[in-house]
Amino acid sequence: MKFIPAGVVPLLLMIHCRLVVGRALTVNPSSSMCENTHVCKPNVAEQTRKLVVLLNATAQDLFSIYLDCQGDPFSSHLDELCNANGTNFPDFHVNRTSHKDIMVALYKVFAFLNASLGNITRDQEELNPMAKELLERLHNTTKTTRGLISNLTCLLCTDYKVSQVNVTYGKSSKGMNVFKKKQQGCQVLRRYVQVVSQAAQVLLPHLSQA
Amino acid sequence: MSNTSRRTTVTKVMFFFLKKLLFSSCGYIIPESPVLTLGSNFTALCILNESCLDFGNIRANQIIWKIKNSVVPKEQYRVINRTVSSVTFSDTSTLATPLTCNVLADGQIEQNIYGIAVTLGLPPEKPENLSCIVHQMSKTKFIMTCTWNPGRDTFLATDFRLKSQWPLETLPDCEPRGVNNSCDIFNVQFFVNLEVWVEAKNALGKAESEHIDFDPVDIVKPLPPHNLAVNSRELPTVLKLSWENQITVVVMELKFNIRYRISDSSDWMEVPPEDTASHRTSFTVQSLKPYTKYVFSLRCMKKNGLGYWSDWSEEKSGVTSEAKPSKGPPLWRKIGISHSPNSWTVHLIWKELDRSEANGIILKYEVTVRPRPPLSCPPEKYSVNSTNLTLNLTNGTYDVTVTAHNRIGGSPPSVLLIPASNSKASVKDIKAFPKDGKLWIEWTAPDNSVVKYVIEWCMVSDSSDCSTEWQQELGTSQGTFLKGDIKPFKCYLITVHPLYTNGQGNGQSTKAYLQQGMPAKGPTVQTKKVGKAEAVLVWKPLSVDEQNGFIRYYTILYRTVSGNETAVNVDPSKTEYTLSPLSSDTLYMVKMEAHTDEGGTSGPVFTFTTQKFGKGEIEAIVVPVCLAFLLSILLGVLFCFNKRDLIKKHIWPNVPDPSKSNIAQWSPQTPTKHNFSSKAQMYPEGSFTDVSVVEIEADDKKSFSEQDLKPFNLLKKEKNTSEGHSSGIGGSSCMSSPRQSVSDSDESESAQNTSSTVQYSTVVLNGYRDQIPSVQIFSRSESTQPLLDSEEKPEDNPGGGENATPRQQYFKQNSSQDETNTDGSHFERAKQVTPPVNEEDLVGLAQLQMSGHSSQLCGSGPERNKTESALADALSPSTEGQILRLETMGINTATVDEIPKSYMPQTVRQGGYMPQ
Repeated sequence: MKFIPAGVVPLLLMIHCRLVVGRALTVNPSSSMCENTHVCKPNVAEQTRKLVVLLNATAQDLFSIYLDCQGDPFSSHLDELCNANGTNFPDFHVNRTSHKDIMVALYKVFAFLNASLGNITRDQEELNPMAKELLERLHNTTKTTRGLISNLTCLLCTDYKVSQVNVTYGKSSKGMNVFKKKQQGCQVLRRYVQVVSQAAQVLLPHLSQA
Repeated sequence: MSNTSRRTTVTKVMFFFLKKLLFSSCGYIIPESPVLTLGSNFTALCILNESCLDFGNIRANQIIWKIKNSVVPKEQYRVINRTVSSVTFSDTSTLATPLTCNVLADGQIEQNIYGIAVTLGLPPEKPENLSCIVHQMSKTKFIMTCTWNPGRDTFLATDFRLKSQWPLETLPDCEPRGVNNSCDIFNVQFFVNLEVWVEAKNALGKAESEHIDFDPVDIVKPLPPHNLAVNSRELPTVLKLSWENQITVVVMELKFNIRYRISDSSDWMEVPPEDTASHRTSFTVQSLKPYTKYVFSLRCMKKNGLGYWSDWSEEKSGVTSEAKPSKGPPLWRKIGISHSPNSWTVHLIWKELDRSEANGIILKYEVTVRPRPPLSCPPEKYSVNSTNLTLNLTNGTYDVTVTAHNRIGGSPPSVLLIPASNSKASVKDIKAFPKDGKLWIEWTAPDNSVVKYVIEWCMVSDSSDCSTEWQQELGTSQGTFLKGDIKPFKCYLITVHPLYTNGQGNGQSTKAYLQQGMPAKGPTVQTKKVGKAEAVLVWKPLSVDEQNGFIRYYTILYRTVSGNETAVNVDPSKTEYTLSPLSSDTLYMVKMEAHTDEGGTSGPVFTFTTQKFGKGEIEAIVVPVCLAFLLSILLGVLFCFNKRDLIKKHIWPNVPDPSKSNIAQWSPQTPTKHNFSSKAQMYPEGSFTDVSVVEIEADDKKSFSEQDLKPFNLLKKEKNTSEGHSSGIGGSSCMSSPRQSVSDSDESESAQNTSSTVQYSTVVLNGYRDQIPSVQIFSRSESTQPLLDSEEKPEDNPGGGENATPRQQYFKQNSSQDETNTDGSHFERAKQVTPPVNEEDLVGLAQLQMSGHSSQLCGSGPERNKTESALADALSPSTEGQILRLETMGINTATVDEIPKSYMPQTVRQGGYMPQ
């Protein structure tokens, strides 16, 4: 291993990500999604709802702080530069009535968000290492998203018997220039604010009945 | 084989031998550096190398095991084969490091083969009592702290790790820093179930605690609400609280505890928890007191009760709005002395309302005085700002009402009836005593229903007036604590007045102490009267300020110097006590103690000595003695009275009074001779008596003619018929006296017969010591009793020198007006005017006078001057007047020289007058 050139691992990772991006990740039925899954506690559904509510409550602040930290022209030309259609953020349809579909949709959304937050956090640590609040909020949101995914996985695997969900991830920002990194982050977070708000609205009545 | 390969082979061989030489030993021990469990058994093997067998001829049976420097008993050895020896320890606690394998080389020389370090310890115990709490550090920052019991000391380095995982994700371990029983996890994620456990691991093993599974949001201790504000509303009984929660509602909903207290109280009240069980940021507290300052504080926790209560928030205070006073002020009166008999001076006094009753700031009091019939005056109203009002009222019964007013309105009226007289029943059995650290007063209520009681009290003191305080109690009460600053060791006079609807009862009083102590000092005792066997002691009672309690009794302690002390208890009402029986003429020391319920205090010691004699003993001795003395005196007086004639004869013989002598009748020339004196003309007849000197010398009888002696015969005859008036000059008669002075016939006669010389005195008109004689009298100027003696007892002067030497006699005609007004005697005058002169001087003066007269008689001027000088010397303290008198004496002398002397024969010495 000592003799492996230093740029090999990032290269392999980059190749791997490039392979992932652009197509749905196929979940192997015998894959790790439902491995080690035990019986979900009864409070997991409520915890899931509260996590969505918590993310919804903090999403707008996260986006605002992100914009502040990126400076012009993002704060002044938000609509042009941060068009949400510029990303492949999963859609979340509010007219779903099935709990299972909602859970699956949520899983897709937050799986995408979790990967995107990883990229954004890495880019901001590089671009704005002194933006403590932004970084803290990115870390908190990332961890909350991971917790939400954990709860959704538990619910899907145990309550809804879903062992496979096709998820998508966004483009890797590796190799992008600074503007592109900031723009992609802005587009993702702006879309995240919209989607998590819809999820919170949809999830509330359904989970309260569950 | 090339050179290179050959060189390599040689190098390898040399390395082998060098290694063998440097690093090989004769043996080794397995296991190498073991970590052993305390108390377990352990076996070590010492394996000898073959090389040592060859060179040293060493065998395994020669191996000696040692722990440090101690040889392990050989019973624990076992020789397995020729090169291996083992040692077994059944309990590793007996082990110590190092454990060495040794051999005895060459018979006795011990050589170390190998040694190992042994580490002893224990495997970790299962951590117990794992628990976690999430502390909120800020609005978004939470720290989860998990604690556990690490178990026993393992004596080894033990690694504790807090492990955690989500359902599908394992989280990083938490490694304690510096401790082994707790660990802090930052970046806590809520709403995801977390499984937590502790793993302990060391060289001897590992242990894992029980797994606990929880949502961290259920173990949060939130920060207390902050920015608490208290606002009053229009309602006087409510206050609205508002605050900010420091945890967002999306994280958790909260419930609250709200506590509050009156600002000057330490007792907290709490809003019912069910009223604050929902998430909120404000609350209105009700049922508060008007115009009262309240202090509020609150805390919160998760609404569902999971987790922990926060700390109490900072305290904030607020004041409720004002309301009308809830009750009237307590009202009482004091009746003062009025100048008019038909009116009273009534001091109305009332207390300020408590804050809880005033419900605001009292702005004024309104007083209404309404007389009852038969008085027909209209009610009078007063508005005052103070708490008293003095009125002059006509005698009668009055209803007084007082209302307190604040900004909102007035209180219900307080009513007090002031009757014309206190004719109602009083309370009975009034008692006061300390109770629960306060002064309790209780009484038995009268039979009639009482509206309320007024209790008055004041502190009794010698140094200040009794300043009265008072309080009201309900008519149903029969006891109360005095509400005021009641001090210990002070006497309080407490009076209870019952108030009825239509009158009052007389107050009944008692005295009490909140706390009694020993008297500040003891009484100062002293004696009022001391007798032989008793002493009356008196003392001054202690003042009230000195008593410190009720004086229950006095104790008098007395003893002699060497005797035992005797104690006598005395009633405190007494101020005098008689100690008896006491020993006579004995020194006693006495002191006095005053006792309260708490003890006694001694006063100063007083000493006294009992008398030697009792009352009447001296009288019993003295009175009889005196009576006996008086009786003897009386008897003596009676005896003397009975024998007065005899006594008089011996002690106080009758001296013929020359003024009564008939000799004057036979001196026909006297008036003319006297008229011859110019001075005699200055005075009327009878003012002066002629002076004549009669000296009869027995030897010179012959020189007198018969005619000259005739008058003596007459005198002799008349003496026999004299009535006995004596002038004190015995035996001779004086000239020109209108009265006869005849001495005792016998004596006179004998004197006439026996005495060769008869002296006659100068006869002066003025009396002795300002006593004016009724008649002209004769006195002898220098005549003293010895002269009488010589007259009466001529035998005392045997006719020796004195008879041989003619006695210097003279009769001086006293013509000086000064002398007329004063004493007739020069001698006595000198005595009187020179009181400082001592007796010796007087004696000298007398002698000088006598010598002076002698000089005058001699008519020698220089002699006379000398005499006057000597006389002045003798009277050195005398004044000028005295000297003047002396000059007068000289003048008199000169006058005498000019005046024809008595025709009576005189026997004079040289310088004297010759018989004319």
